[in-house]
Amino acid sequence: MKVLVAIKRVVDAYVKVRVKSDGTGVDLANAKMAINPFCEIAVEEAIRLKEAGAAEEIIAVSIGATQCQEQLRTALALGADRGILVENDEALEPLAIAKLLKAVVDKEGIDLVILGKQSIDTDNNQTGQMLAALCNWPQGTFACNAEIQDGKIQVTREVDGGEQTVLLNMPAVVTTDLRLNEPRYASLPNIMKAKKKPIDTTTPAELGVDVSSNLKTLSVEAPAERSAGIKVESIEELVNKLKTEAKVI
Amino acid sequence: MNCTKTELLNALNDIVGAAGLKTEPADLETYGKDWTKFAKPAPIAVVLPADAEAVVALVKLARRLEVPLVPSGGRTGLSGGAVAPAGELVVAFDRMNNILEFNAADRLVVCQPGVVTEQLQQFAEAEGLFYPVDFASSGSSQLGGNVATNAGGIKVIRYGMTRQWVAGMKVVTGTGELLSFNQGLAKNNTGYDFRHLFVGSEGTLGLIVELTMSLTSLPKDPSVMLLGVEDMAATMPVLQACQAKLPLTAFEFFSEKALVHVMAEKGLQRPFESATPFYALVEFENQSDADMETAMEVFEHCLENGWVTDGTVSQNLTQAKSLWRLREDISETIAQFTPYKNDISVRVSKVPEFLQEVDRLVGEAYPDFEIIWFGHIGDGNVHLNILKPADLAEAEFFEKCAEVSNWVFEIVQRHGGSISAEHGVGLLKKPYLHYSRSKSEIAAMRAIKSVFDPDGILNPGKLI
Repeated sequence: MKVLVAIKRVVDAYVKVRVKSDGTGVDLANAKMAINPFCEIAVEEAIRLKEAGAAEEIIAVSIGATQCQEQLRTALALGADRGILVENDEALEPLAIAKLLKAVVDKEGIDLVILGKQSIDTDNNQTGQMLAALCNWPQGTFACNAEIQDGKIQVTREVDGGEQTVLLNMPAVVTTDLRLNEPRYASLPNIMKAKKKPIDTTTPAELGVDVSSNLKTLSVEAPAERSAGIKVESIEELVNKLKTEAKVI
Repeated sequence: MNCTKTELLNALNDIVGAAGLKTEPADLETYGKDWTKFAKPAPIAVVLPADAEAVVALVKLARRLEVPLVPSGGRTGLSGGAVAPAGELVVAFDRMNNILEFNAADRLVVCQPGVVTEQLQQFAEAEGLFYPVDFASSGSSQLGGNVATNAGGIKVIRYGMTRQWVAGMKVVTGTGELLSFNQGLAKNNTGYDFRHLFVGSEGTLGLIVELTMSLTSLPKDPSVMLLGVEDMAATMPVLQACQAKLPLTAFEFFSEKALVHVMAEKGLQRPFESATPFYALVEFENQSDADMETAMEVFEHCLENGWVTDGTVSQNLTQAKSLWRLREDISETIAQFTPYKNDISVRVSKVPEFLQEVDRLVGEAYPDFEIIWFGHIGDGNVHLNILKPADLAEAEFFEKCAEVSNWVFEIVQRHGGSISAEHGVGLLKKPYLHYSRSKSEIAAMRAIKSVFDPDGILNPGKLI
């Protein structure tokens, strides 16, 4: 079985992002970048499938600028066998990403695609579902457990109010939720070895995919700041404030 | 004390008012102790002055009424320096917790002593600057206490101790005199620098009422490398290699035994497959993209020389924090085993030998004692922890540990080390001070104390 994991390069979860003064986006100059945490979970799940003997090859794919190679190298250090970089400098919307992934799936003869359920920068939660639709494959989204059984994959999904278990025919698309696994650390010897693993570079044009956008970002604004809380001296004052200021009673 | 309790309370009330006076048993218990447990708190009252003038009035009153004073900050000390076991009056600085002044060009911030360490850290960050002294208790410890104990912590290898960041201070001495030292000057060669005398004086010379602290530039994002070390002696060339090539911010170590406890208690994963007897945690700043490459080269160099056998490096800031937990959660994790703890330092190069000697001595005498080592090896500061065997009574265990203390301090003395690296002396280490300081030195300390506190009303019984 050939597994494809998609990796997005995003701003590190611990970086406090600031909106650019001209409102065109957030300021990422010199910001620490990392693999999207959900994608990290996808990589870990693929490695576990390989360690369990269920997968033969793990291909990590990233779509974006040249620097995405850093995140691909991390995936290779963690245990992916080879990488593919679809080089593109513009920010792409989920449908374009899904089309590009579909092209890679077709080219590589993939049996299972594992992706993060969403990325922490744009929070779309669309790519996995769109990819499944484009491929006409079954999808197991928000996975908190995944097991290969007789050529099928059983996925436990996090749904409102509980869990739902689905059994998917392969090939299939799985998107990861937080509880699926705890990603391992990349060991230093493996980081060294990963330098020798191959990363192929391609482009949307080479893959024959039109990535033109139908969306335009008009402006990006920071959420309104909350003012600090105050301490009231008495219940009367509280009631008064609820009536006259908050106007909730 | 030469007056009744009521007279004292009335006089205090005149100075600070009812809001600044606490006499409830629960308050006396809380304010009368620090993080140590060995002395029972028994202060006569707790007074919370609101400004320096009130402190001056308090000290003058205490001098007249012969009331001993115990200064109190966040009370996170580990040597009993802020404990009030004998009817003392506790002077707590909780109400003097304002940041008074900031100057970006000077990079100086004037604080009252009750400002919490974290408060200053956050203030600095909001100004795009950095207050680099950091430790586990920074969320509750106060600056006055940090300075009075010269607090250290995890970034000492790069930024030094609290001392390095004190640019000026105002103190009220035991005579009730308000003195101002150094006024934020970077260069001031005009004789004895009293500021440094008061740093680490543990409240025995004066009460700190204002501090001028230096700030520095924000560091770049850190990466954390954890290295598996087969042999403690090998940490020395590893440290040397890291120091030569990387902008280090921390170089810590812990033993496999410590790691096993932390993983089990906190449900953390093993950082890499192979277990090694010791681990070195190396934090460095990514000043440029080249630093990560250099770190890889350093690792390869250490691997080729056989100093390390395995390792990992954080790929993001979440992992950097997770790796730190393996080191920072040790203290909390082993607390359940009623450990004997000791905070000592020797010269960096002597750490491996020192550890071996202590291991051998304790191992031979008490083979059932589990020794957990961790600490700031990059500055020679190690924390010795011995876990109480489950079947041994607490009293008997600590009796045996008192014996161990003497052996450990003898080894410390032989290596020219310190019996208290960063926790101070207080009540806990006072009987052992002679292992690190000579008779003449201690006599000189007493003489200095008598200059600033002629009646001995400031934190009596502590330090010397």
